[in-house]
Amino acid sequence: MRIRASIAAVVIAPLAAVVGTVVMGGAQDKTLSIGVLGPLSGGAASYGVELVRGAEMKADEINKAGGLKVGADTYRIKLVSYDHKALAADAATAANKLVFQDKVKYIIGNAVGATCNAVQTVTEPEKVLFSFVCWGTNNLGPDKPHSFRVMLSQWEVAEPFYRWVKEKHPQIKRVAAISPNDTSGKDTNTAVVKALKALGFEVAADEYYERGTKDFYPILTKILAAKPDMLDVAAAPAGEGGLILKQARELGFKGAKGWTAGTNPFTIIGVAGKDAAEGVWSPANINVRSDFVSATVRRFGAEYEKRYNEVPGVIAVANYAAFDVITKAMQEARSLDTDKVLAALTQKPFETVWGRLVIGGKETYGIDRQFLYPVVISEVRDGKVVDIAQVLPTALKK
Amino acid sequence: MSIDLLVQALLNGFGLAMVYVLVALGLTLIFSILEIINFAHGEFYMLGGYVTYYVFAVFGVNYFATLGFAILAVGLAGVVAERLIFRYLRGKTLNAFIVSLGLLWVMQASAQLSFGVLDKPVPSAFSGIVRAFGLVISVERLVVSLSAIVLIAALYLFLRWSRPGRAMRAVAQDADAAALQGVDIELVSALGFGIGCALAGGAGGLLAPVFAVSPAMGALPVVKAFIIIIIGGMGSLPGAVVGGLLLGSVEGLGSLFMGSAAVNVLGFLVVILVLLVRPRGLFGGA
Amino acid sequence: MEPSRGLSAPPGRALGAPIAGLALLAAGVVALPQLTRDSYYLDVATTILMNLALTMSLRLQVSTGQLNMAHISFMGIGAYASALLVTRVGISFWAALPIAAVVAALLAFPIGGLALRVTGPYYFLITFAFSEVVRLFFNNFFVDLFGGPSGLVGIPKPSALPWFGRALTFTTKLELYTLMAALLLVTAAVLVRLEHSRFGLVASAIRQGDLLAETLGVNVFRYKLTAYVVGSLVAGVAGAFFAHSHQVLHSSDFGLEPMVLLVVFTVIGGTGSVWGPVAGTVLMTIAGELLRELHHYESLVFGVVLILTMLWAPDGLVALPGKLARRRRVGVSLAP
Repeated sequence: MRIRASIAAVVIAPLAAVVGTVVMGGAQDKTLSIGVLGPLSGGAASYGVELVRGAEMKADEINKAGGLKVGADTYRIKLVSYDHKALAADAATAANKLVFQDKVKYIIGNAVGATCNAVQTVTEPEKVLFSFVCWGTNNLGPDKPHSFRVMLSQWEVAEPFYRWVKEKHPQIKRVAAISPNDTSGKDTNTAVVKALKALGFEVAADEYYERGTKDFYPILTKILAAKPDMLDVAAAPAGEGGLILKQARELGFKGAKGWTAGTNPFTIIGVAGKDAAEGVWSPANINVRSDFVSATVRRFGAEYEKRYNEVPGVIAVANYAAFDVITKAMQEARSLDTDKVLAALTQKPFETVWGRLVIGGKETYGIDRQFLYPVVISEVRDGKVVDIAQVLPTALKK
Repeated sequence: MSIDLLVQALLNGFGLAMVYVLVALGLTLIFSILEIINFAHGEFYMLGGYVTYYVFAVFGVNYFATLGFAILAVGLAGVVAERLIFRYLRGKTLNAFIVSLGLLWVMQASAQLSFGVLDKPVPSAFSGIVRAFGLVISVERLVVSLSAIVLIAALYLFLRWSRPGRAMRAVAQDADAAALQGVDIELVSALGFGIGCALAGGAGGLLAPVFAVSPAMGALPVVKAFIIIIIGGMGSLPGAVVGGLLLGSVEGLGSLFMGSAAVNVLGFLVVILVLLVRPRGLFGGA
Repeated sequence: MEPSRGLSAPPGRALGAPIAGLALLAAGVVALPQLTRDSYYLDVATTILMNLALTMSLRLQVSTGQLNMAHISFMGIGAYASALLVTRVGISFWAALPIAAVVAALLAFPIGGLALRVTGPYYFLITFAFSEVVRLFFNNFFVDLFGGPSGLVGIPKPSALPWFGRALTFTTKLELYTLMAALLLVTAAVLVRLEHSRFGLVASAIRQGDLLAETLGVNVFRYKLTAYVVGSLVAGVAGAFFAHSHQVLHSSDFGLEPMVLLVVFTVIGGTGSVWGPVAGTVLMTIAGELLRELHHYESLVFGVVLILTMLWAPDGLVALPGKLARRRRVGVSLAP
């Protein structure tokens, strides 16, 4: 039934868009095209799909409110999104299409480390503003002034998270980190290991698995032989992270569990099962069902669930927030010129679904291009996600 | 490194090997009857997983009844695919490669559209672990492995003794000669393709509670199946079993000594080594 | 794996047809920048030209009866070799390009030599195994050199060439297009010449039956290995171009998915003629770009197209006009 509904949606959506433009558009409204990239098919599709949906929610919200008023003009938002299947070469081609064919000046959202590097070879020379959730350390830098990371990465989260662990659970001494074998996984484990060493923990294991792995018994046998007190499924996506926790429990692991770069808490609970997910701390997540989050986030979560039939994870929220911040900066700058918007972005804090957000990160990346907001640590209790603490990223403390 | 750890690693490797052997047997059965490699084989495995998700996890039907239903449903889907598409491609390996790739894309995209992109968890039908001699064995995996062995044995008996099974072996040996002996090639190829897919569907049903289901889940078992059938030799049932055990032990032991990501190289290196020594696999005939 | 045998004899043994074909290809390549200077079109066109070098050389190997799933690995070897020669050793792109191609060809000797000992589906699968070993090698071993899972970034574009007192630069889309066009036209000329030489005749004989060719005194292995090495040389050139035009390398660029696309382009176009991959690559790439915004519907549409094309035109698109002209029933024969 859902197939038929989806096909109908594909046929009807463009028609509705055309009719909508004619009826509501009015002759004086201009169109602002915004690009979104991401893996929308294949194994990494969940990232890309959440990015697009987060952007869709914001774009519809703006259009329903009558468009985006920038200076004297009102713009209707038009989203152009392309699939790059998590392949770097394909991402470059898709970025070329967005920049040179669709003439977008803003690309909001992309995931999977190597594809961000590929997109940047296109966007930076053309001064296209590019915001993403890739976790590669080298995705931010003074040579890439038009690039932003709109979600906390391991470099912001790992240190305050483990500082909290050390304070609240001093019995934890040995930590094992496991991540997928790609840019984001490598960089996440590196940040975790660095934080662990700085805080005086022992690193029981620093392991990587090939994306798409389902059977973690072999790698876990080796990790558990090192007797860790805590297992951090650092950069594992929700599905794989869930499998690791489930299988670790089967192999007799009873220690603490963390998920430094966690994405979707509900999927990890579903896949791991209530028992195996019990007690997982995740500092990078957002729980749209929590009582602690703002009313906007809860509303976003409820609408998202109604519309897409899945619970949104942090990537959908991050892209929704990024879109929000960037359009606010456009209004602030009273211009669509990317350099002027860039100046407005880095000038002052924004009130967002994350709470107060600043763009910083110069100490880590050499340039202020990282979205910074408070880290909320959540814990899984009896199959539910409960927010238990709020800590600040080091860069935000000053 | 303790001996316990070595044995545990070996056990891990063997743990699910028989399920991959099941996938491999389906692939090699289709190959020996239609002379084509079906790249969409993993998508039939995925289909088995989703059938299990809906029937077992959502509607709560008994696990083994669900498994039987998944095997039948996916087998039927295989027969349909054979009648509509693959029967025209007998022996045309290159064309069949492209067609099965097309089918793979169609099935994966349809799954993503109808079932969503996120992993769907299937609750375990069996929980708990058995501890013996310092080793850990999950009951779920034990049941899964035993079920796979039962299915492999059933396939063996079917091919060895039943009339349609013997007809299949005849077609696999020499299709023209079999046709002259009055074997209905069309029927055999539809049945063979269906059974091949049913085996993949059964494997998907067995692993659904162990791994959860997702639209892209078919890629992994198919690559393992390729490795298994090359090691064992195309068309050989004992070869596939030996290939599965060999791959499982290499991967299980390998991950103790090297990074888990790098372990994937080992399977392919074994393939290359085996083919250099025996160009048709360990059990491959002339 | 055997190619379809329907239209196996290369049409037009006389040199007229191939020269006309090459002239047409050259005319198209020269005409495009006159028609548009749009950066996106030029970028897609450049990708098409690069893929043409890959599919035409893949087809050379298929013409001896074998589908090499490791073809993309030699592109990867060329790409990593050239990128490292320029960034680590410090030589110019123009020196690195031929060296990278030769490195790819030299590695093709042992790999091809080993793989060609087996035939049929075993060959297909052993080359697939080789390609995974190469990809996993770039991804997991010598991380300091190959960048591991982070890949290589910041690879410089091709350096300027002195040209009658002026400097030819290769930084804009148009200049990169021109470079790839020149590389492709040379490659195509060599491959077409080869197709219409004794080599092409023997390859066709081999494809129709190893045994027959063998009894006629042809050293089948040597012919297959030659096709393997020449094809890998071309793939190495394409890889070096890829590294310096994209400036970012990742092991997944040389994995199963891009390889499968090359096979699709080649077979949909038709393996019976040297022009088959040209038709397949051009049409399928343009279709892919037009369908890009359909997201996962793209693969749905593509999948259906692949199935229908292979059922209705089993010998590929280039065989269609001849087939329709002969007014034969468009059907599919069951005979192998």
